[in-house]
Formats: sequence, structure tokens, C-alpha cells
Amino acid sequence: MIQPPTSRRDFITTGLAAVAGAGLSAAFTPAFAVTVRPADKIRLGIIGTGSRGAGLATLIREITDYDLVACCDIIPENLQKGLSLASANAKGYTDYRKLLDDKSIDAVVIATPLYLHYPMAVAALQAGKHIYLEKSMTYDITQAIDLVKKVKASGLVFQVGYQYRYYGLYHRVKEIMKENWLGKITHFECQYNRNSNWRFPVKDPKMERAINWRMYREYCGGPLSELCAHEIDVVNYLTDSRPVKVVGLGGINYWKDGRDTYDNIRTVYEYPNGVKASVTSVLSNAYNGYSIRILGDKATVEILRDKAFIYPESTNNAKGVVDGVTGATIAVTTQGKGVEVKFGKPGEAELEPTVFALKDFAECVKNKKEPTSNVETGRDGSIAIHMGNAAADTEKVQYWKPEYSA
Amino acid sequence: MMKQKAYSTWLAALAICLFNIASRPGGALKTFRINGRAQGTTYAVTYYAEREAVSQTQTDSIFKSLDASLSIYQPGSLINTFNASREGVEMDLHLSRVVERSMQIYKQTGGLFDITVYPLVNAWGFGTKDEDGLPDSAAIRRILPCVGSVNLQTSGNSLVKSNPCIQIDVNGIAQGYSVDIVADFLEVRGVSNYLVEVGGEIRTKGRKYPGKEKMSIGIETPSATEFDTPVIREVISIGDGAVTTSGSYRKFRQSGGLRLSHIINPKSGFPVQREIISATVVAPDAITADGFDNALLAAGVNGAFEILKKHPEMDAYLIYKKTDGNVADTASAGFARHVVR
Repeated sequence: MIQPPTSRRDFITTGLAAVAGAGLSAAFTPAFAVTVRPADKIRLGIIGTGSRGAGLATLIREITDYDLVACCDIIPENLQKGLSLASANAKGYTDYRKLLDDKSIDAVVIATPLYLHYPMAVAALQAGKHIYLEKSMTYDITQAIDLVKKVKASGLVFQVGYQYRYYGLYHRVKEIMKENWLGKITHFECQYNRNSNWRFPVKDPKMERAINWRMYREYCGGPLSELCAHEIDVVNYLTDSRPVKVVGLGGINYWKDGRDTYDNIRTVYEYPNGVKASVTSVLSNAYNGYSIRILGDKATVEILRDKAFIYPESTNNAKGVVDGVTGATIAVTTQGKGVEVKFGKPGEAELEPTVFALKDFAECVKNKKEPTSNVETGRDGSIAIHMGNAAADTEKVQYWKPEYSA
Repeated sequence: MMKQKAYSTWLAALAICLFNIASRPGGALKTFRINGRAQGTTYAVTYYAEREAVSQTQTDSIFKSLDASLSIYQPGSLINTFNASREGVEMDLHLSRVVERSMQIYKQTGGLFDITVYPLVNAWGFGTKDEDGLPDSAAIRRILPCVGSVNLQTSGNSLVKSNPCIQIDVNGIAQGYSVDIVADFLEVRGVSNYLVEVGGEIRTKGRKYPGKEKMSIGIETPSATEFDTPVIREVISIGDGAVTTSGSYRKFRQSGGLRLSHIINPKSGFPVQREIISATVVAPDAITADGFDNALLAAGVNGAFEILKKHPEMDAYLIYKKTDGNVADTASAGFARHVVR
């Protein structure tokens, strides 16, 4: 298991550790949330405008529900980028607590390295802000369990950035599973591979750990928490369950560049009723980089980035008792080619899945609804990730403990 | 070019075979099976003969000649040439037979079976191209003047359209016709015990050897999805004849929770929304059965029986959804004699 960080690098604003500590032990007293009326624009702040945060800002700019009024980042270039995408009079901050002090802000997006998610989310709840927290939810299991309590006590809207829960493709796949197109489903095969060192360029060597935090266990759980998190959440979503146990192996066998997070990890999660989900990330091969295969006894679905295909099993089972079968024509496809899964409403624009997630967050804030990707589903994802990493670290089966979801 | 070549191969084969009697009485008959893919689905031929009478290559070449004439999916096919033409084309034997029989069934079904439905099929996204949107009623009204087999005229081998927008789609009957063509080929080769199946449309003759059992055919229960393994609901035996089934349970589009059938009513212009889920027709030949099965589905249970009254040579078995949502079945009076179990 990844140990909670014991040291903080100097790029973290001072006082953060104190907040993190206070979050766990001190009384939790969220400020009263400002009520956003359905007709109002949501006054939004983004904490962390690096690659993901700026990407979100670009999408938010096109969504009329939001007014992006504040950005925060400790890296000046990131902050400038964020502000360039924000409203004309948006304020820039390097200390996120100052942003949270702004009473006129209704909600915040937190898109920072994983280890900062918990302290920042707790501080934002205390400041009475609705939160859109990037995935994965928390750095460790304790934080995940505690955040559930704090969010529930706050009455605030809390959404985790698992956008695939909002994407028509996955809705359709879930429907297809429910309609029994795939028959009895016994396995999921998930991979999130790439053929690159997964690094961002660093001009000043002092900034290495701040920029390439994904390489270091002090800040995140490596490929499992930063890449495969989506797929673990998707399996949880499609099965309406969470893992029972997990085995795993990982290593740093290709990118021996000073990183201490895995450059390859392969885990197998067991879900209720013996359903298994293999979850893999390999950083030295990119064939079908992102893919989830769902194996049923009638058909297989393969989900790729923005499309999915069905590969039916042979349908000759009914013959044998009779000499022929008359029925509506069964379409066949060329060997190895699946039937594409149609999704979305006719004529509906194809949008980045995150747009649907952000629009739904606005809807939840305005109408006080519980998000589909909420603190409990976020907890289940984070705990599964940590169990997977722990399985690989210890080479021992990790079990879901009843107290995780008590 | 390819069409002519394939066609002449088929004629040559036919000529040779007139002199070649494959199964002399008294000889021990063996089982031969041919399986393959054609017309976007699978086909299966089982026949009993002393020695091989028909090969896979021959069967595939028959399908090639059919596609070259009748397939809207094959660029340059005769049917596509007709559809693209302003006035019409000279038909080959396949197209001429299919059009002739289609025109008859058009009249016999009161226009419910109509090969000029193609512009509507395309508009509803069941043609050769994927359509993202759905047509509105104004769009359908604009298309309707291009639909109706009264706009087709034949004289000799010419097929003439009264308006350049007239386009035909023989998918509702071509599979049945293909079954007949393969069956005819088997007969020419002297085979008199066989089962030919193309995409669920079947023709049988004679018995199974060596046991001389009747051939049994399962009628599939409509499945919930495109990919369900077929489950048998009834087993029938039709002797020397054909059976085909039309159902909208495998091919449909989903729109706002509504299933849009691929069977379009040529008169209203809209997908058929009827209580019948699946219509199975037994007839002397497969082109007849296949031509009528869609029309029965579009006619509804009462309408289907009205049509069947005038055609004692046909029997039908209908699976339909009752108003309470439960699935039931019904059949014409003559159907019971086919049922094995």
C-alpha cells in the first residue's frame, strides 16, 4: 500500500499540511452554502489549471451554466493559461485557501495532483463550496472513508470527475447488458496502455516532482490511480457493485528513469458472483490503448474511446434438434469485425464526455441533486485502486473490508 | 461484366447437368452439407445423394450472380443501375423474375408489399447508408409520390420508371428467390432430397437419408435482441415446399425508447407498428412465402387473415403481442397439419 506522505515538497503552499491534519481530527464545520437559483450562472473557481484543469476550463467556457470567475495554480504559466480561458474579470490565486475565502464563489473544480484532493476538498466543503473533484477521489482509503462522512454532513453537491458515467456510450452498454444481449457476463478485460514515458517537459529541474507528480508515490498511485481509475469505475458502474478482492503484480521494468510508480501493473479484481475484471496498464505498448472488453456467453462488447463493438458468439446452438430454423434474418459480419453499438439520440451532437459530466454538475448544483458520480462511488473507486496497488506491492490478496463501506 | 460471366457459368452448369442424374434409385444416399455466407447473412444447404452433386464453389457463384443483379449493397449491380437511372434498364433473368412476382404480390396484398419502398427505407436509415437523424412527416410526404409499384412498367425485358425518383429494393423477396434458385439448381443436378436455407428462409424436398425421416424445421421465438441465440417455439415439417419468416425483432432502430421496425409501410411511409412480432408463411415456393411474410406483418393479425383467405395455397403462423403486453400466437386453419410438436 502506498504510505501517506510524510514529507511535503517546497512547491506546496505552506499551511497545507496543517489543513490536511486538521481535516482529519478537528471538528468539521462546513460554512453555509450559497443557494444557486436555477436561473443564475454558477460562479465557479478552478483549483489547479495544469493540463487537466485548463482542459476543463476550455469546456466550461462553452457551457452557459458557468461563469469561471477564479483560477488558482502555484505554477505561473498554468495560472496564466487558466485565466486566459476564464471570464474577463476573473481573479488569479496561488493559494487555494484565498480562492475559497471568496464568498461570491458557489462551486469549485479541483484538478490538482491526487495527494492534494482530500485536503483541498475538505477545505472547500468547510468554505461551503460545491465541488467537482477530478478523479481519482483520494490518495488513500482512510481519506476516502472520511470524505464520505464530511460530504454527507455538508449537504453540498460533490461530484467526482468520472465523466464516462455521463457518456451515452456507457449508458447504452449498460442497457445492452440489462437487455441480456451479452448473456451471462463472467469477465471484464480492461487495459489503459500507452507507449510513452508519460512525462511532461520540465524546464527547471526543481519543478520535476511538481510537474511529473504521476511518477512518484508520494503524490499518487501511478497508472492505476491516474489511468485505470476510469475503467475500475466503469466496471463498478456497469455491474452496480464493487470489488470483493484483488490480486496484482506490478513493476518498473521499462522506464527506469527515477520514477517510483509502476510502469506496468496487472491486477485481477473479483466482483460478486465470481465475476473477474482484469485491469492492466502497460506504458510500453499502445495497441488499442484504452479498451474494455466485456465477455458474456452470448457476445463480447469491446469498448474503445468513443465507440464500442459487439462480437456475437456463434448462434448455431438451436440447430441439431431440427434440420433448419426459420426466423428473422440474422446479420453476419465479416470474421473479426464487430457490429458497432449505436448510442445517443438521433441527430444529437457528439460531445466530449466531460461536457455531459460538467452540465450534470450544474444541474445538481442548481436543483440540489445527488450526482451519478458521487462521493460513495468515488470512494469505491479509490479504495479499489488502493487495494490493487497494495496487492501488487505486497504480492498478497487484498480483501474489501466491511468497514470500507459501512 | 462480372454479372454476365457468373450468369453464363450458371447456364453452362445447368446445361451440363441436364445430362447428369446424380441419384439413381437404389443407391445408398450420403449426406452433403454446404455452409457459407451470402447476402449479408448465412446459408446452409443439406442434400442427400450418392455422390457430390453441387459444390460450395457452384453455390457461391449462384449467389454472386444474384448479387450482381439484385443487391443494393453491391456497387454496379443491375438494381443499383436501375435506381440511378432516369428511365429504367434492361432486366436480366433474375431481376425480371423477381420484379414480375413482386408486382403480382403487390396487387395481392393491396400494396402492402411494394418494392418501390426503397426511398422510404433509406430515409428511415435502413438502406445502405447509416442515417443519424429520423425523417419528419414533411420529409415522408415529399418521398411518398416516389413510392408505389404503379410507377413501374415492364415491356419485354425493359423495366421502366415513370419518374427518376422511383427506386426499388427487393430485399423483402430476394432471399426467398435465392432459396428457389439454389433448390432449382439441386433439382437440375438430379437431387430430390434437400433442405436449402438462406438467412432463415427455407425450402425442403423429400426426406432425410438413410432413415427416410421427414425434415423438421424450427420456428424461432422472437428474441429480445439482435444477438440472441435462436430458441425454437414450434417444430414443423412442410414436405415439398417453402417456409419463410419475417420479424422486426432483429433489425430495428431505437429512438427515444421506441423501436422502429425495418419494415416500412409503403402506403403510410412510416415504420410498421403492428402487434405482429413475427410472421411465418408456408407456401409452395420460397419467393411466394417471402413476398407475403412482410405484408402479413404489416397487415396486422386481422388483415393478415383477410389476405390468407384468398390464398389457400399458403398457411401462416403469427406471433403477436396482445394488448395486455403478453405474447401469443395464432395460425391459419391449414397450418396445424405442418406441426410436428
